[in-house]
Amino acid sequence: MTTRAHACILIVVIRFVLFVIASACVAAVIAAVRPASAAAGWCWPSCSTYGLLGAGTSTYNGCWYSIGEVCSGWSYWGTNGVVKTCYPGCDYYGNTRGTILYGFENRDRIRGRFTLLSNRFYIQPYEVGMGGYLRAQVAWYSGPASQINVAAG
Amino acid sequence: MTRRFVVAAVALVAVAAALAAIAATQGGASKRSSLARLSNDGRTVTLQHGVIVREAHLQRASLLAVRGRLAVYRLEGRTSTCFGTGDSNDVGQVGSVQCAHGPFPTAGWPVLDLSIYEGATHGLRELSLYRVEGIAADGVTAVEFLRPDGSVALKVPVSGNVYSTTEVPSGAIAGVAALDKAGKELWRSP
Repeated sequence: MTTRAHACILIVVIRFVLFVIASACVAAVIAAVRPASAAAGWCWPSCSTYGLLGAGTSTYNGCWYSIGEVCSGWSYWGTNGVVKTCYPGCDYYGNTRGTILYGFENRDRIRGRFTLLSNRFYIQPYEVGMGGYLRAQVAWYSGPASQINVAAG
Repeated sequence: MTRRFVVAAVALVAVAAALAAIAATQGGASKRSSLARLSNDGRTVTLQHGVIVREAHLQRASLLAVRGRLAVYRLEGRTSTCFGTGDSNDVGQVGSVQCAHGPFPTAGWPVLDLSIYEGATHGLRELSLYRVEGIAADGVTAVEFLRPDGSVALKVPVSGNVYSTTEVPSGAIAGVAALDKAGKELWRSP
């Protein structure tokens, strides 16, 4: 074998290693930002896509806030799940600059937790001291629009 | 020369595979070490399977604290460390989860506020506290909840890396601050 052949083999091996590492990284990212659930009773904007929730977003179905909120219809919801991506970017801690409130609402009040974080969040009605006929909701609170997928079931 | 080269190439692949395997198996350990400033390791409890456990891919749970009806957990997910709460009458049944991509806690992010906020006025985005709870790093001895004008509405002590209270004041809350033993502000959000 010539020195040139050795170099070629070395390049192929290095490319293979880089490909394996890159594939692992892509798989990890995809796993981390997969939408909340594909088997939910209500999803926004759909059960497999993400939408931007900003100050002007609405589902036009009578949510607590007429704009800056997306909410389900009325039902006996068991869990509200939110996946928030790093859109438009995250700091070292995974924080975005857009704050959202996620939880539930009834005719008297809206309740939930705030988060700036990107990742996944789940909450059940009893955690916010609610039960019965509710809407699952995610509301914009401050900052730029957040890219989210919401699924309640 | 040729044989030596082939051996070197095989060795390189083997080392790369070993490093990949170590990275894959030690990811959780590395995340755990980044939580080193949470000295409360909790008590391992059995997760009760349900929607949240399935959807968040939770694999292990440690019960960090029980405060009245509130149970606070550290949860190991498939891709990240999460924190959650549940009913203390049903330990292992997780009712809420927050996961994060980055390490927690750190000097730049020493408090994970899991408090429940509520609004009762349509169109007004001023929310008050319904219940206070969260996780704080070892160096945080109290958490303050701030009014829109910056004044302190509530100060809650941290014990065993957990803070909580159901006795909350009415009125708008606009921020959270972490204090050290001397009462010095360490961090504030927003």
